[in-house]
Amino acid sequence: MNFDPMKIPWSLLGLFIVFCIGMFIRGFVPKITARVGKRIGIRIYQPWFDYVKNFSIQTSITHGYMFYLGPVFRLTGGIGMVLFMPLIHGSWYFSNFAFAGDMVLFLYLMFFGTLGMALGAGESGHPYSAIGVARGLAQVTVAEIPLVLAMLAVAAQHHTLSISQIVAAQQGGIAHWTMVTNPVATATGMLALLGSMMNSPFNVVLAPQEIPIGPPTEYHGTFLGILTTNRSIFPMAKIIFFMNIFFGGATNWAILILKGWLIYMWPVIVGVVFPRFRVDQSIRWFLKVPLLLGILAVALV
Amino acid sequence: MINPILIIAIALGTAFSLGLLKKLGRELSFAITLIALAAMAFISAQWLSAFLTYNMLGPVVTTAGGRAPFVIVLQMGHMEALFTLLINVMGVMGAFYLHDRLTENGNGAMAVLLAGIMGLNGIILTGDIFNLFVFLEIASIATAGLVLLVTDFKSLTAGFKYMLASGLISGLFLLGIIFLYNTTGTLNIRELLIAVPGTIKAGSVASFLVMMAILLEMKPFPANGWGIDLYSGAPAGVSALIASASATAAYFVLIKLLPLGGTVAYKIAAAVGITTFVASNLVALSQRSATKLLGYSSIGQMGLVVGIYGLNYHLGSKAFLIIFSLLGTHYLAKAGLFWLSGIVQSTEIDKWSALRKSPVLFVLFGIFVFALMGFPPFPSFFGKWELIMGLVASKLYWWAGAILLGTMFEGIYLFRWFSRALKLDNQELAKPRSTIYTFVPPLVFAILLFPAGYYTSTYTGGIGIMGFAPLLFIMLIGFLDFLPAYIKNILSIAGVAAYSWYLWPHVQGNTFKIVFAGIFMGGALLALFAGFYRRGKHLGFYPTTLLMFLGLGILVDASNLMELFYGWELMTIGSYFLLIRGERSLPHGYSYLLFSLGGSLAMMFGFGLAHASAGTIELSALNHIHVLPALAYSLMLVGFMTKTASLGFHIWLPGAHGEAVADIHFMASAVLLKAGVFGIILVLSGMGNSEPYARNILLVLGWIGALTALIGNIGAAFQESAKYLLAWSSIGQLGYIVFGLATMTHLGWLAAYGYTITHFLYKGILFLIIGGIAFRVGTADMYKMGGLIKRMPFSFLAVLISIITLAGIPPLVGFTGKWIFYNMIVSEHMFYQGLVVIISGIVAFLYLFRLIHVIFLGQLKDKNRRVKEVYPWLLIPAYAMLIGVMVLSMFPNTLLGPLGRMLSTAFPKGALHWDGYTASTAYGTFNMPIIMAVIGSTFAVVFLWLLLANRRAVKVKQFNIFYSGEAPSRPELTHFGYNFFAHYKKAVGFMAVPLVTRFWDQVSEGLHALAGYGRAIYTGNAQSYLFHIVGFVVAIYLITMGGLS
Repeated sequence: MNFDPMKIPWSLLGLFIVFCIGMFIRGFVPKITARVGKRIGIRIYQPWFDYVKNFSIQTSITHGYMFYLGPVFRLTGGIGMVLFMPLIHGSWYFSNFAFAGDMVLFLYLMFFGTLGMALGAGESGHPYSAIGVARGLAQVTVAEIPLVLAMLAVAAQHHTLSISQIVAAQQGGIAHWTMVTNPVATATGMLALLGSMMNSPFNVVLAPQEIPIGPPTEYHGTFLGILTTNRSIFPMAKIIFFMNIFFGGATNWAILILKGWLIYMWPVIVGVVFPRFRVDQSIRWFLKVPLLLGILAVALV
Repeated sequence: MINPILIIAIALGTAFSLGLLKKLGRELSFAITLIALAAMAFISAQWLSAFLTYNMLGPVVTTAGGRAPFVIVLQMGHMEALFTLLINVMGVMGAFYLHDRLTENGNGAMAVLLAGIMGLNGIILTGDIFNLFVFLEIASIATAGLVLLVTDFKSLTAGFKYMLASGLISGLFLLGIIFLYNTTGTLNIRELLIAVPGTIKAGSVASFLVMMAILLEMKPFPANGWGIDLYSGAPAGVSALIASASATAAYFVLIKLLPLGGTVAYKIAAAVGITTFVASNLVALSQRSATKLLGYSSIGQMGLVVGIYGLNYHLGSKAFLIIFSLLGTHYLAKAGLFWLSGIVQSTEIDKWSALRKSPVLFVLFGIFVFALMGFPPFPSFFGKWELIMGLVASKLYWWAGAILLGTMFEGIYLFRWFSRALKLDNQELAKPRSTIYTFVPPLVFAILLFPAGYYTSTYTGGIGIMGFAPLLFIMLIGFLDFLPAYIKNILSIAGVAAYSWYLWPHVQGNTFKIVFAGIFMGGALLALFAGFYRRGKHLGFYPTTLLMFLGLGILVDASNLMELFYGWELMTIGSYFLLIRGERSLPHGYSYLLFSLGGSLAMMFGFGLAHASAGTIELSALNHIHVLPALAYSLMLVGFMTKTASLGFHIWLPGAHGEAVADIHFMASAVLLKAGVFGIILVLSGMGNSEPYARNILLVLGWIGALTALIGNIGAAFQESAKYLLAWSSIGQLGYIVFGLATMTHLGWLAAYGYTITHFLYKGILFLIIGGIAFRVGTADMYKMGGLIKRMPFSFLAVLISIITLAGIPPLVGFTGKWIFYNMIVSEHMFYQGLVVIISGIVAFLYLFRLIHVIFLGQLKDKNRRVKEVYPWLLIPAYAMLIGVMVLSMFPNTLLGPLGRMLSTAFPKGALHWDGYTASTAYGTFNMPIIMAVIGSTFAVVFLWLLLANRRAVKVKQFNIFYSGEAPSRPELTHFGYNFFAHYKKAVGFMAVPLVTRFWDQVSEGLHALAGYGRAIYTGNAQSYLFHIVGFVVAIYLITMGGLS
């Protein structure tokens, strides 16, 4: 397919909507987790205030070029993932640049932001940033295994790596969704999802409840604002991806929001129920049931 | 023509004259001795020249006009001329070397030497078996006399044992002669050869005793303890004479008399010879005495040629070419090594590092060792090649296998000796003292090995002049080693450019060859350009580098299997010397050489089967082999996989590459490993995937590739040294390539080719830059670095782009490789192997991040605050390759398009289709320019946004970090770099357990234990040795009677 310049404004609009959904969910999820813990929690619009605050802070320091560019890499990766994914099935306006790439592009684009962010955090010179990155990388290498297996199983099932075509193949009712036609692959994928959503038991990378740790340790102000933007886009990109390949995609924004919210709740619910793993524990966990399920998934194709 | 009897007469006359002219000065006597020996050599040379020029029969000369045994009958033929020439040349050189001892011991010693050489000449020339016995006795007595030139206990006992053993052997021989004469009524060898088959049965006592005597003269295993003691106990110059001249003469006797024993004698000779070759080399494994090693090696080598003679009917017209090439190499190299042992004056192999203090002598040592091991361009290379081709073609697989096994054993101890001499500390050792007398003979023999190699090659065919001519240029560079490095660098670049110019028309139009020629020659030019950063002379670097690249060039240019193997071996020699240059490279370089040797031998056997199948050594012989095809292809693949460092054969690489310096690391990893890929492509192209055995091989190969990728990448994640990390990474990357090739699909091969090229680029960048950093910082340990982005921004950028490419992150070209793999895995349903490969790719993120973070990010150490950017000489080639990466990233079709078209002929199904810049398969699609445009513009917009919103950002100092109220001041305490993935190791560390290393260690220990067990028979006790001889004779008699007759 040839490039049409009109794709640009429509893709940006789609991106903005995804961003807004992400901001909403980022306010909603802490509320739920707080209520589970019998606390009141933040206001649902708190992320928007934080957002404005971050971009309004007057003082700003930098540790160097890579530190400066880290958030840029991070957000570029997140935006890229959205821009190369079809958001609404059957819609030319919100199919984005999906014609230029497929699932493999999505998978590897995920690392673009991660790597840039890790490098930026590394230049801050803060050891906790590096420790967080080391933990995150170690965990992601195994969390990706079931994800890849699930992807391979789905691609083999639908004879395509194209996200758009996989969504198209699932149309015609819930019975056609991969969730139904290939439940093992879906289960594998959903277990993999747990590892990348920064919820317990797999959130030791950021260790949010204890000392500040993880890549954003040294980021503040505008830098943090950029990272916050990404935190609203990047998880949504993954959620929409899962929706597309396992749950029939979305034919309009309402379905996208509904399905996206439900998928998002999966790691959230798991997170509030289960305590946190150490990294070596989470590595072992992914190499047990998710791996076996993944192997079963490709074996059954 | 000069009467050949003068050879005897001159020797005898001079020997007697010396006895009468004792009042002459010893120097004059010595000069007379030399002149006499030279005259004898001249006579032989004159006859040989005549025989080679004219098709003529030689004369038969009798003394006193009577019949043998009352007169001496001498026969001069072309074989006699050649063998006497060898002996007389050795006589001249040996006497020259023994100058000090001869002049010290006086005219008597010189007379003994002359008598000995005369005896050896007589052995060859005589046509009478009794005369032969007499000459053998003369030679034996003279040898004992020469051994006793030194009267220490060791020499005395060696001489005594020798006398006892040779007496016993002579007794057997004499008994045999008596029985023969009794049966046939003649002592004339010609008549005997005619009479024996008709009058007595082969295997009768007469011929059996004669046969045993001549075999025992060759010191067969295990009846050779006396021989080993003789070699190690005699003075070096005498040992050289025994190893070269006496052994050569004894071998001629074998050639002359073995037919007396009939067919069974050949079988016995083959069995005894090859057993001796294997057993001697095995037993030598645990030996640390240089002279004993040489003794074992000499006995082994002679065993080999005995065995070959026993098998000569199977080798056809090439039999004598094989024999002469191996015998000639042994003659020259073994004499040279014994002579050098006299200069070093220490029997401990570890003390031979002293030889490095005399570089020329050390070079000679290297030449002799590599010649003995059958490396090109020496005669033994061609001999061993023809031998294996011949044996395999005759279906003598076990014989060929045994010979290759023995060669492997020999390589283990010879290369251990050489490597230790090359690398062990020699500061405490005195410089070996050589005089003109001890220096010239080994120099002459070493030089002779080269023309001998060329001469041999003209008889084998297969190697064109361009296999030799560039060696002259390399030798020239070697002679100019005293010049500053930059001059040699310029000359070397010119040499490589000229060779590339020559190569281009040969590869033009062949995409496969263009790819590899580009990597090899382009790599050479870039590596040499990077070499300008070096100061001083950089001794020995340029000849070996050029040798490696010449080997690679020949590999690409090869039109037949021999040329391919020739190039492969040259490349191995060159690369060994490069890889062992590192400070702690001794065990790794040695390990590399052994794996290379083992691989070469396996490959040679495989080529033998290909040749046996096709009846030709053209490259087309690799196609559809039908003689033991599974074995043939497997052996060839194993051979090539030793270079790609695939799982099981990878243990040499981390150390060898990890200890190498920047430009060598680049050459070794980005360039050299591709030679293995080249070979695997050739083999798989020939094998195809239609046969069941091929599919089995491919399945195993695919798993080897996938697991290599995984183990390599996991291993890389746990390294503290950046160089070791990159080395392990190379193992992993080559695993991808092997896996891709093993799929035998269009996409798999496309990915493999793509990785081959991109790995050259991004790994080339990494090796140059990381090597340059290690050079600047003084260590390759990453945790000792940190924060270098501030000192080395250009290096950081280059490394950043390289690791993004290697990781396969879009929008750079590495992504295309990952994408193709996914498509191939899904379309071919190769999920399990594919999963391992994909996981490996993800694991690569670990070490890549570690590499860039721990070196460039984090805290800058105090000692590195003034460190400078990497040398421009390293940055420029790195950035040149970076441009290549970016161009291929923007337009991957420029690379994948031509490769795809090439592969479409072999793999028409499942090709990658290009529609403009959009690539697609049946499963997926990508358009790199659009991906790059979207990513690039997003990046630019976000960056501008940040710049705008963050324009007041202030750069703070290093320790200005949020640190719980503390003020860090020591970068060492806040730089997280050591044991970076401890948690990962805790979880999956079991995958990094060096099981393969342990396996090879066990193999090594087992072999050494076996060697120790075998060595126990050599008690040093003369009675035991005599019993061995008797036992040997009895055992052979019983076996012969029982099975072979």
